[in-house]
Amino acid sequence: MASTGESAPHAIAIRGLTKRFGALLAVDEVDLDIPAGSFYGVVGPNGAGKTTMLSMATGLLTPDSGTAHVHGVNLWAQPAVAKPKLGVLPDGLHSFDRLTGAELISYAGLLRGMDKDVVRERRDDLLVALDLDSAAKTLVTDFSAGMTKKIALACAMVHAPRVLVLDEPFEAVDPVSAGAIRRILGAFVDTGGTVVLSSHVMALVERLCDHVAVVGHGHVLAAGPLDEVRAGQDLEDRFVGLVGDVRETRDLAWLRQS
Amino acid sequence: MLVGGAVWSLTLLPLAWWAEQTLRYQPWDIKEFALIAVTIVVTLGWVLVPLLITGLDDTLDPGRFATLGVRGKTIMPGLTVAAFLTVPALFFAVVLTMLAGSWRPYGLDVWAVALVGTALTLMMLVLSARVAVMWASRLLASRRARTVSLLAGAAGLALIAPAAWVLFQDGLQLVVEYDVPVLIEQAGRTPLGAGAAAAGSAAHGHWWGTWVRLAGLALWVVLLHRAWRANVEYALVHPVYRGGGTRQRADSMLAGMARAPWGWRRWRLSTPARAVRIRSARYWATDPRYLASMVGVLAFPVLFFALIMPAFGLDARWAFVAPVLLAASIGWGRHNDVALDSTALWLDVVSGQLGREIMWGRMAAIVTWALPVVLVAAVGTLAWTGLWSLAPAVVGACLGVLGLTLGISALTSVLLPYRAPAPGENPFGAEVGSVGASLVAQLISSAATGLALPLVTFAFALALVVDPAWGWLALVTGLVLGPGSLAWAVSYAGRQYDRRAGMLVASVS
Repeated sequence: MASTGESAPHAIAIRGLTKRFGALLAVDEVDLDIPAGSFYGVVGPNGAGKTTMLSMATGLLTPDSGTAHVHGVNLWAQPAVAKPKLGVLPDGLHSFDRLTGAELISYAGLLRGMDKDVVRERRDDLLVALDLDSAAKTLVTDFSAGMTKKIALACAMVHAPRVLVLDEPFEAVDPVSAGAIRRILGAFVDTGGTVVLSSHVMALVERLCDHVAVVGHGHVLAAGPLDEVRAGQDLEDRFVGLVGDVRETRDLAWLRQS
Repeated sequence: MLVGGAVWSLTLLPLAWWAEQTLRYQPWDIKEFALIAVTIVVTLGWVLVPLLITGLDDTLDPGRFATLGVRGKTIMPGLTVAAFLTVPALFFAVVLTMLAGSWRPYGLDVWAVALVGTALTLMMLVLSARVAVMWASRLLASRRARTVSLLAGAAGLALIAPAAWVLFQDGLQLVVEYDVPVLIEQAGRTPLGAGAAAAGSAAHGHWWGTWVRLAGLALWVVLLHRAWRANVEYALVHPVYRGGGTRQRADSMLAGMARAPWGWRRWRLSTPARAVRIRSARYWATDPRYLASMVGVLAFPVLFFALIMPAFGLDARWAFVAPVLLAASIGWGRHNDVALDSTALWLDVVSGQLGREIMWGRMAAIVTWALPVVLVAAVGTLAWTGLWSLAPAVVGACLGVLGLTLGISALTSVLLPYRAPAPGENPFGAEVGSVGASLVAQLISSAATGLALPLVTFAFALALVVDPAWGWLALVTGLVLGPGSLAWAVSYAGRQYDRRAGMLVASVS
């Protein structure tokens, strides 16, 4: 698989990825294949290891062991070849917020070594497409959480990568912008791109994704085409069945108003 | 840090005891003089140290309470108590109380006055420090932060300049004999020395003067507390680091691609490196954390030139140490440069294998302002001394020291990064849990700087003391070793950046 290069059937292939933080085994020997051209959802409860796994698959966090291949290229052995194929939107990290929205997109494009005229053209397209043109001249530090998410998404897309890895891309984004992002991502997949997104929202994953992986306690509990994973159930029910419900339900009688 | 500070403080207590014993049997006027002088020095320390050495002020930052929606009135009692329960506050409480004990031979009443004066003085110290830090953070966070910090620097110089001028004119001995006593006597009439002077007045029966001084000092303490409270209330509703609605007309990222500044054309950096340079330059111009460190590098050279040189009556040639010291402070000060990006550096990491480009861009942004500043300081010193024959030596030493120290900083900021205040946090704050790492990084970068500097300063020293002709050797070594070591270090640091790319985000967050 690793030697098949550009024609590799998997956009991302993860083998034996492991990460330990002190006593906590965050990701434990995870294997996962993400087919090229798929819209892949990664779901899991809080603290399941989704972000850690995606960080290791995108070059943000060195794994303790295991490999991640992007279209057949070993990411950690050949980052200069693999990283240009990836567009990444991490969750919960700062942005260079002393730049304006427009400048941050240009910065991302220029870092990828793109020509400044191409950067300008795509920057303007992205600002309009993500409804950010009014914020183009505002410093990112003054952005709302949703706008920050959208501008980081624009940075992930500016170099037209083959694979987009998006950690919670719809969090804090308003419904109108979410619709626009869904259309952009849908068109990207239709033309052969691959989207990997993590989310807590099952309905969103069910609506958008054709493949899904359920992650819990640092393992992949189930993965594959959406219908296979659902096994005839609602995704949410199947998810709760896989990761387990809260151990004890307790009646909060004191919360009742009458 | 806490334990270290406490242990260090305890070792100083015998010294305070010895001072108290010595003062106890001195006449009242000498005792008063000495105690006022101690108070002045200590006050200066309390106000200046948290401003110059960022990261020392780890008391509760009121900005952290902004999200809780509490009122200033509610948290002020807690903040006030917390401000007095720090190692420095407790240490000075003990030391000043011990020194106040030297008034015991004058009777219980005088001793009681001394203790009240000490308590009020301690309050003044702690509150002055809080007010100074909060005002400084507030100024640096303002939209015109750059202008404000320049003005603050100029005001600081204006304060030091008369003192320096008098010192240069009269020499240390005359100043100590005539000017310092007058200064101390005047300080005894202001809140600054009132706490110490009150006991002196009581000791020779001027009880009226005692009450006036204590009342004045108490009023001053109340005013300081009010000022602090006003700042806390302001901080609760004005998070530090907002852009203040600033709008940038043009995309300077793309504009910067079109024109290469003069001199860069031949050596034009790659596109990613130029993007990083433009981004870094924006931070240098607008981010309070960078502005604070930019003002901070001036402290040591200015202190050396304006106070130490005249105070010790050093020969004019010593003035050349100031620009070299400036170059070293700028270079050493960047030893944690990468960490100031905080987790925003994810964008640099995911964008490819760009370590060299990133490090070159960062260094180019620093050199763009640091080189002119250092050269202006060097030429200014040459003009002031008139010793133009030493020009090659000074310029060579400055270039060599700047390049070498920046090179060391490029390496340590990649190899030994530690958590720095994140964007939006108080530039004078320390990150909890980072003190051990920062101490190691600072010690190693200081040791490396100390070991490497003789390479570029040896010929400079010979030019100063033996023969100006050595200056040509200093110029050659500076021109070769400065840029050479910087170029090597930046490239090496870039390779290390790539190797450690998967650990950087974690190590600075």
